[in-house]
Amino acid sequence: MSRFESFHPLVIFLYYVIVLFVTMFTNHPIVLLCALTGGIAFSGTLSTGRQLLSDIGFYLLLFILLSLANPLFTHNGETVLFFMNDNPVTKEAFVYGEFIAIMIIAVIFWSKCLNQVMTTDKVLFLFGRVVPKLSLILAMALRFIPLFKRQAIIINNSQKTMGLYAADNIPDKVKGTVRVFDSLIGWSIENSLETADSMKARGYGLPERSAFSIFSMHRSDLMMFGLMAFFLLLFFTGKHAGLLIFQYYPTLGQINCSGRSVVLYALIALFMFFPSIIEIMEKIKWKYLESKI
Amino acid sequence: MEILRVENLNFSYPLREEQALTDISFNVKEGEFIVVCGESGCGKTTLLKLIKRELAPCGEKSGTIYYKGIRQEDLDDRTSACKIGFVMQNPENQIVTEKVWHELAFGLENMGLQTETIRRRVGEMASFFGIQNWFRNKTDELSGGQKQILNLASVMVMQPEILILDEPTSQLDPIAASDFINTLYKLNQDMGLTILMTEHRLEEVFPIADRVLVLNKSKVLLFDEPRMVGEKLKNVENNGVSRGLPSAIRIYQGLQNNSACPLTVKEGRECLAKNYTNKIRTLKREKRCLPAAEPAIELKNVWFRYLRESPDIIEDLNLTVKKGEIVCLLGGNGSGKTTLLGVIAGSNRPYRGRVKIFGKNIRKFKGRELYVNGLTLLPQNPQTVFIKETVLDDYRELCKVLDCDQKAIDHRIERIAERLSIGDFLNIHPYDLSGGEQQKAAIGKILLLEPRIILLDEPTKGIDAGYKDQMCTLLKELKDDGITIVIVSHDVEFCAHIADRCGMFFDRTIISFGEPEEFFCNNNFYTTVANRISRTMFDNAITTEDVIELCRMNERDE
Repeated sequence: MSRFESFHPLVIFLYYVIVLFVTMFTNHPIVLLCALTGGIAFSGTLSTGRQLLSDIGFYLLLFILLSLANPLFTHNGETVLFFMNDNPVTKEAFVYGEFIAIMIIAVIFWSKCLNQVMTTDKVLFLFGRVVPKLSLILAMALRFIPLFKRQAIIINNSQKTMGLYAADNIPDKVKGTVRVFDSLIGWSIENSLETADSMKARGYGLPERSAFSIFSMHRSDLMMFGLMAFFLLLFFTGKHAGLLIFQYYPTLGQINCSGRSVVLYALIALFMFFPSIIEIMEKIKWKYLESKI
Repeated sequence: MEILRVENLNFSYPLREEQALTDISFNVKEGEFIVVCGESGCGKTTLLKLIKRELAPCGEKSGTIYYKGIRQEDLDDRTSACKIGFVMQNPENQIVTEKVWHELAFGLENMGLQTETIRRRVGEMASFFGIQNWFRNKTDELSGGQKQILNLASVMVMQPEILILDEPTSQLDPIAASDFINTLYKLNQDMGLTILMTEHRLEEVFPIADRVLVLNKSKVLLFDEPRMVGEKLKNVENNGVSRGLPSAIRIYQGLQNNSACPLTVKEGRECLAKNYTNKIRTLKREKRCLPAAEPAIELKNVWFRYLRESPDIIEDLNLTVKKGEIVCLLGGNGSGKTTLLGVIAGSNRPYRGRVKIFGKNIRKFKGRELYVNGLTLLPQNPQTVFIKETVLDDYRELCKVLDCDQKAIDHRIERIAERLSIGDFLNIHPYDLSGGEQQKAAIGKILLLEPRIILLDEPTKGIDAGYKDQMCTLLKELKDDGITIVIVSHDVEFCAHIADRCGMFFDRTIISFGEPEEFFCNNNFYTTVANRISRTMFDNAITTEDVIELCRMNERDE
């Protein structure tokens, strides 16, 4: 388990919300680049190098497609590169498209990580507080899906070995699938009666149900809340002071390089790389601890 | 002190003429381990469910149930939910949530306890049951045995005073079942927990039970210590229970002697040694005349794995099954027996080696050719065989496979229904049948295809002794019709009764193969209880009938 995963679910959730918020509501090139590289780096610590390379390959393709789409449909901007079907293709639209593509791919990378780190029990824990009934229903549904899948395979196989729906023509196969699905519904209703009994036997339905979880807050979680609040404060101050405004149309603006803004960029970079940094620090620490043994 | 008292309990289900329970009265003392037995449909489950108020079925009820002197109706909701624990038969269906820890906490959440209390109680139980290693796992990744232990633990966290279990081991393999029963024994001995359970694997629970409640046709037949029950049942004809009793008791009942009734293998041995000589050590059997050695199934150097990266499940396996014989393959859980059946049935394709059915390579069969009038597989769970609303509709579905009209299939159905005596439940939804009836109906469906080879996967799982006997007779009849049968099972006793040849599947291949006498007499552990009881006295007794016969022969000899 990576270090970041072992934070309290609320910390992880808030961190993601902030990352996605910052990425999606600023169009400043440096912020977007930070978000993208941070997302890729985190994804790299979570998966194998080979997986990461194949991911990057795929998203590079997506990047090219997305960044070409904008100049084809948008013709704003003053620097015309060439005409296509009597429509101007401009440099500004190109650059804007590139950064939109970067934003989309950054969000995709972060979501991939989120998917891996925020396991279902964490999601349930977070939202169970708000709607306790819903969280139980979700927990039951999540338990049910793999059961349903497995049973479908078993029924299908046993029908096949009796020669039913085993012919090599498509209508027969489709019919077979529908039948199997139909019987699966019956099967699941039948079995859920027993589940209901088991719930009743353990006192489900009595008033004042509580919600239990195995997650607990540690000191590092509290520190994270502090750090995130501090970051948000600085981010909004900077945004308010106009440090994060970048102009794409009609002509490309200059990237602000004043001292204050460089500090802000560094801060955002630090924030975006935070999961990867602590992961690496943790690894170094373990190397060190192991060498001591 | 008395913890449970049942007084003149009568119960009948709506729209049913006969009573499910008639005049049941008994009491249970604190800390007792009580086993309830009786043949299928004698009302065991109904009785247990009535004792747990939340699960009481609808119907007409009279009589009273007292828990610690309080009438069941007057119990407070929380007491009733917590203090009377209930574990059901099917390990899968009782689990409510996705994660092990959540499942353990479920009952306590319902009680509205605080996180700290829940954490402590759950932790305590998880360590008692050895769950800590899979505490954070998903529930669907567990094995059957682990699931049932989880169900037990998630009832035990509620700190019940009496635990009711309805055939909790019927869906488990023998080793997991043993573990489960040992855990119950430990709970009973170490915690003084009162236990009331039904069970068809009586071999293991009889010796540890304090008292046994025998039900017969909705009435209490006997309620006494196991030893006394063994002795008394000897004189009761048609009690429906004797068949399922431990082998030691069955041998005792088949013989005439005045010593106390033995319960375990050890006691059984002592009883035999004390009362009988062993001048005649071997039972002469007619050599089984195996039919003409034409092979029905041939596997040559078969290798199989599910995925390229996964390990081999079957490694270099050779097996020849001759036409018209019954072959049983025994083996532990997860050893790959079911996978092997899949290979024979053509649903798993080996990556090396050859499978021949009736001398023809299995890959050369096109479409449903192999399955019509050829080979069929009855999977472990007979429920998966049915996909229609009634058994009859399901049977009729097969006319598509057989390419015949409604009339012809009805004719066939009639014949099969008569043969299996299943005419009564043709119009019933398959899920409404009991385990044994479902199994029978599933066999019926398979027989409609007029197969020449039948593959059976754990046909005795969750079935009581009476149905097992019926199945034995049926399979032997089918064999006489010239059908080849391959059975994969854990059930050593069943295989000993029925097999022409037995094999043991271990470590990806078949390690020993031979006729039952030779197979079981050479095994020390993996053998029938009757053989374990008699192995010091006799040479080749494998069933209780063999032991009884040998004892009688020695008696005559004296």
